[in-house]
Amino acid sequence: MAPSQIVALHKELQLAFGARPCNLQKCGLLLAKLKVGLIETGLLLPLGDTSLDNLVLARDILEIGAFWSIRSKDIPSFDRYYSQLQTFYNDYSSVIPPSPREYPIRGLYLIRLLTQNRIADFHTTLESLPLAADSLTANPYIQHPVNLERWLMEGSYSKVWNAREEAPAEEYKFFVDSLMGTIRNEIASCEEVAYESLPIKDAATLLFFTNQSDLVNFAQERKWQVNLSAGTIAFRKKTEEKVEIPKRKLISSNLAIARELEQIV
Amino acid sequence: MTDVEMKPEDGEKKEAEGKDAKKNKEDELKDKKPPPTPVAEIKTNVTLIERAVSTLEPRFTHRVLRTLTALRKKLNNKVLRDAIEEVYANADINSTPKSALLAWLPPALPQEESTMDVDSIPAPSPPQSRQSQPELVPECEVYFRLLILHYLLVSSETYKQAMDLGHETIQRIQALNRRSMDPLSAKVWYAVERAYELGGELADARPLFLAAQRTASLRHDDETQASLINRLLRSYLHYNLYDQADKLVSKTKFPTSAGNPQFARYNYFLGRIKAVQLGYTEAHNNLQQAIRRAPAAKTAPGFYQAVHKLSVVVDLLLGEIPDRSLFRHPVLEKALSGYFEIVKAVRMGSLSQFQSTLSKHAADFEKDKTYTLIVRLRQNVIKTGIRRLSLSYSRISLRDICVKLHLDSEEDAEYIVGKAIRDGVIEGRIVHEKGWMECGGQKSGYGPEVSDVFTRRITYCLELHNESVKAMRYPLNAHRKELAAAEGARERERELAKEIQEGDLDDDGPDLGDGF
Repeated sequence: MAPSQIVALHKELQLAFGARPCNLQKCGLLLAKLKVGLIETGLLLPLGDTSLDNLVLARDILEIGAFWSIRSKDIPSFDRYYSQLQTFYNDYSSVIPPSPREYPIRGLYLIRLLTQNRIADFHTTLESLPLAADSLTANPYIQHPVNLERWLMEGSYSKVWNAREEAPAEEYKFFVDSLMGTIRNEIASCEEVAYESLPIKDAATLLFFTNQSDLVNFAQERKWQVNLSAGTIAFRKKTEEKVEIPKRKLISSNLAIARELEQIV
Repeated sequence: MTDVEMKPEDGEKKEAEGKDAKKNKEDELKDKKPPPTPVAEIKTNVTLIERAVSTLEPRFTHRVLRTLTALRKKLNNKVLRDAIEEVYANADINSTPKSALLAWLPPALPQEESTMDVDSIPAPSPPQSRQSQPELVPECEVYFRLLILHYLLVSSETYKQAMDLGHETIQRIQALNRRSMDPLSAKVWYAVERAYELGGELADARPLFLAAQRTASLRHDDETQASLINRLLRSYLHYNLYDQADKLVSKTKFPTSAGNPQFARYNYFLGRIKAVQLGYTEAHNNLQQAIRRAPAAKTAPGFYQAVHKLSVVVDLLLGEIPDRSLFRHPVLEKALSGYFEIVKAVRMGSLSQFQSTLSKHAADFEKDKTYTLIVRLRQNVIKTGIRRLSLSYSRISLRDICVKLHLDSEEDAEYIVGKAIRDGVIEGRIVHEKGWMECGGQKSGYGPEVSDVFTRRITYCLELHNESVKAMRYPLNAHRKELAAAEGARERERELAKEIQEGDLDDDGPDLGDGF
């Protein structure tokens, strides 16, 4: 595919992507074509000296691709675009002008890691951001996931819940649902241990459920005992495990020690 | 074996190292009386290297390299030039190693012809040089190159030259492929990294290091491999590439025979990676190892401080409070002052104090690359606060918790306490209807797990003992001499007995006395 064709297709893609509401199907088709074009011209994973315009063009296509994947709820595709963009963001950062979409995409990736509870990866990615650590909070796109993570770790779940409407970019909201699922499971596992029983109404508020049937379904999933007549939920009792003395283990370890001592003396 | 140091530290080579260090110290003491000129020192080192090569004992080379740090400061053009002239005195003036070495030094004295038009001479081919002067092993040449490299790294004008020399030396080492050269080549790699770093092109050195690492591991060149893995990790961490660093660690095996300093570095890097990935226990173990293996605080204060900074943060993240005495250590006191305040805030469980300390020392933490780790401590501060409350109250209302810990709302407090209970920070439960937290009784501290811990410690000590025994070194055939001496003594005794029996005792009196 000739470079001029790519430029033309790119224009078309920009139009299709910028249109309200955005034409997802058309974008997908265009992106598939453009990706082939990028591979043919060696721009998907640029090596060596490539002209500046081409690099910016390729980055732009991939960025649109990343947003498109989120809008069409195709998370694995977003992952692929993100890792392809890494080359442009990290290795060519000194060559090409920074992109306005860079931080929104990085932030989206962070949120995606949060929703999957991949906290270790979250921190590794955060460390590798080309920002000074104390200015992380100055960038709204990064600040949002950073705050979310902190609240999640502290247990301030209500703050997470309230922050779901404050997303800095449209695409962030696509992750809200799965993030809420993660939170609910977290809260549920806390409640199982921390309470003996809860009134159904309070449980619903704690778990951010608006109607009772959702809660009952959720309770059945987690095998809680719902007592509808009394209006309470009882959690499984912690079975007091009996502590048994591991005789065999103690004997064998003592014998091993004795043998070692024998060798020394 | 009285000179063997028995420290409660592990590491197979500890014993041998200790003995060596002692010997080394003795040597140094001997040398100290008339302070040796750097030239003389270099000459002794060259003989030691030769001995190392001829006896196949890398120990001597290690001893030479240990003097490198001290020697480095005394190097100058004249010293190097004189040393080369003297060591290669009996060699032909145009002999390749000599002229090649001298070519790297800036011309100093006009009468020295050897520096003329040698710049263009390519690296000498090894067989030729060995033929022309069989008495000097190529290791000596590499040693000189290493010295020159360090000399060139002192001033910023010669970085470029240092890099060229480094490349050439590496090519030469790899072409020679001698196992007796491994310790030296490990040091050369360090110098090369330094050259790249000072030149500001650390990232560009990575492909070179990776290729060399592959070669080194194929040749079972443990020393170089250890050095290179550390070079690579350092380069990755310098650019915050934790992902790549982690992959490198998982794909390579750090040679167990590597020296303690390399191990200390490796452990530090591992600790750093694990801390970022939230593997605090592993990070803690690695940092402990790094502290134990690191050279004494006074010799390498920079490393000591860096490890301790990270270690304090990791300890806190694990929910442990570091010893107060640590912050009074003369080397650490000043460097750790910011961390000390953080520790105080965490210990008190006071969020406001924590926040103010954090903002006060933000720049320092940022410089140490611990800022993001310290930010994570926030939740620990809260947990410590809750634990303190749970210990002092048997029942406390959520509103009081909220006030005492400076939390934003009662709702938050409920979630936070719930999480603390789930994570096992406190024992207790929440009574939602009444809006309070009831704290359960403390777990008794005695159970099978105590014996587990105890067994683990005993095993550790026994292992240490066994490894120490294995690591003891005996010089080859040293017992022969003793045997011979014993044999001689027995012989004399027998003769004596014979004489006593046969001879006239009174006449031979004085002789006999000698025998006794």
